Amino acid sequence: MMNMRLVRRDTPLAGGQVRAFVVGLLIALLFGAVLLILSGHSPITVYSKMFDSALGSPRGWSATLTRAVPLGLAGLAVAVAGSMGMWNIGAEGQIIAGAIGGAWIARIAPELPGPVLIPAMLGAAVLGGAFLALGPALARSRLGVNEIITTLMLNEVAIRVVRYLVNGPWKDPEGNNFPIAPELPEQSALPTLFERANVGVLIAAVVVIGFGLWASRSAWGYELKIAGSSEKTAEYVGISMRAKLFTVLVLSGAIAGLAGGIELTGSSSRLVEGVANGYGFTGIIVAALALMRPSGVAAVAVALGAVQIGGEAIQTQGVPSATSNILQALILFGALTAAVFSEYRLVRSAAVPSGAAA
Amino acid sequence: MTSMRKALIALLTMIALIASACGGDDASDTKAAFVMVAPVGDAGWNFMHDQGRLGAAEAAGVETAFVENIPEGGAEFDNAVQNFIDEGYNVIFTTSFGYMDATETFAAANPDVRFEHISGFKMNDTNFGNSFGRMYQPRYIAGMAAGAATESNTIGYVAAFPIPEVIRGINAFALGVANTNPDAVVEVAWTSTWFDPGVEGNAAQALIDAGADVLTMHQDSTATGQAITDAGGTFIGYHSDMSEQVGAYLTAPVWDWTNRYADVIEEAKAGEFTPSAWWGGMADGVVDIAIPDSSPVSGEMDAVKQSILDGDFDVFDQGTIADQDGTVIIDNGQVQVELRDPFDDSVVVAGPGDEVHDGVLLTMNFFVENVVGSVSG
Repeated sequence: MMNMRLVRRDTPLAGGQVRAFVVGLLIALLFGAVLLILSGHSPITVYSKMFDSALGSPRGWSATLTRAVPLGLAGLAVAVAGSMGMWNIGAEGQIIAGAIGGAWIARIAPELPGPVLIPAMLGAAVLGGAFLALGPALARSRLGVNEIITTLMLNEVAIRVVRYLVNGPWKDPEGNNFPIAPELPEQSALPTLFERANVGVLIAAVVVIGFGLWASRSAWGYELKIAGSSEKTAEYVGISMRAKLFTVLVLSGAIAGLAGGIELTGSSSRLVEGVANGYGFTGIIVAALALMRPSGVAAVAVALGAVQIGGEAIQTQGVPSATSNILQALILFGALTAAVFSEYRLVRSAAVPSGAAA
Repeated sequence: MTSMRKALIALLTMIALIASACGGDDASDTKAAFVMVAPVGDAGWNFMHDQGRLGAAEAAGVETAFVENIPEGGAEFDNAVQNFIDEGYNVIFTTSFGYMDATETFAAANPDVRFEHISGFKMNDTNFGNSFGRMYQPRYIAGMAAGAATESNTIGYVAAFPIPEVIRGINAFALGVANTNPDAVVEVAWTSTWFDPGVEGNAAQALIDAGADVLTMHQDSTATGQAITDAGGTFIGYHSDMSEQVGAYLTAPVWDWTNRYADVIEEAKAGEFTPSAWWGGMADGVVDIAIPDSSPVSGEMDAVKQSILDGDFDVFDQGTIADQDGTVIIDNGQVQVELRDPFDDSVVVAGPGDEVHDGVLLTMNFFVENVVGSVSG
């Protein structure tokens, strides 16, 4: 019997990630073309529509970058935790917590002028996200409780809290009894940057790119790297693992919370149940495609944003949403496979007799 | 100063030129687009809007397109609508309540595009209207069938949210029940969701356990129908003819958006932008009911349907309508008590002696006598 296994390459593929990504993308598009032809659509029309609407015009770019904001921040949140070997599966809930924090400020101080209100809302969003990560961070750093379970389950808590708020105390008195929160004050909308993109794009870019740079150049980032790769080394050189685990997970929640704040002040006119829209979970894919490196998140988020925007736009060509989802998934799968194969290779090995040491 | 002004004028001229170039002279080219909140293949709300789209496309002879699965209150909706506008679609239907605010914003920013929002309450004077149907009319007739079908005299009603639209439907249905069976009660179970087959099925089962042998619903899935089929009872559907999906199906009040959509598109085609808050009834064809031959009261149902079509009968404009405490609210089409807007207690909608106008129906916030349940959810 023949066995296959993945072995890490001694040196990553020449051209590295970029080449692997392009190859993965081409293969995915080829499979997608077969799917489109089988369902009676012209792949050329669909693909060119996909490209045009995401990257073919300033307006397309504005939509793509706007989508890259929550994807990038959620991706960064996951990657930051990931660089310490932790899995923050709770970005979805932390986005919601951030949006709740922001909406709360708008409720208690709706008269504040925009330049004060917006930073206050974004600040509250950061705190909201951090707050939701606080429990898992304490449990992990003090008691060694697995953060995957705690962060994952807090998503459910967050969705129920927002549902309670819009059904109960925060229900819009003018909303005809629909479970919606009141409209946000007008001056809380983030100013427009270009076309449909708002200043949130700049804020997210500074945070995502800035953090990537900082993590790779600062002493703090270096400590993070050490602590992430070897606990023993970290303790030998005097890094407190406890403090590191705690700070990093809370920071991760804070970044996701910011995404919720920007979604609220940028894309939404009021707090709605679906404010996180799955971005927190997609953030895990973003981080995985960036190989858990904060520095790779920005590029991946923009690429994935373009795929999503393009994928949504082709519905107007008569492509059903299910087919469009399959296409997006194929592209993701291709890119993810490529990311793996740029660092690993497949080797055939003879079957290992049972009982033998591997 | 002068040079800056010149530059400004030049800039404005350029913008105007570009705008006029983009504006296009193909205004006669009407294309209609639809935004749906869930996949259209669900036999419910979205399915009926897609049927309406297909019918209107044929009737008005225009190109149509749709996007489905677009969440409410997010950037995806904005992208979808902007894509349609960029592609030259100039009549846009947004078919879910939660699209209301965003549709309003788009209407203000795109004066050349006509927007029609379904089931909301906002509009403007130029290019943004809303449409809905008087579903309470066929619900009354469905209630007549339910009253005749029940043996336990308990009819279950699985309902989404305690908003006036749903409450009105429950009351109309219960009045229809009372017409054919004065001893029967309508028991309401709230789900707090439009679409969740699991929750809907549980609510249906709770009603069956409470003794209901006939169920109906104001939901988007057929879960209620499945539960009552399993229990060997009778199902009265909603949205569409569900006879193929549900074994226990008897009848259903249904939507038919074809005529309304065709009318809006024709108006836009003719260049007549007259937004309105359109609330059509059975006579307009937007709502209807199939009268089952198997029902022992099919003759009476036919007669009521005919008098609704003729304008001789209105569900809330006849008889004595009392609330759950027995207080008479409406008597022979005259309001008997002071009715206030449930969302703004300072607004008096109608007082004693007033006629039952649409405002009374649109703010309805009480249950009629033979309903078991609470309007506060």
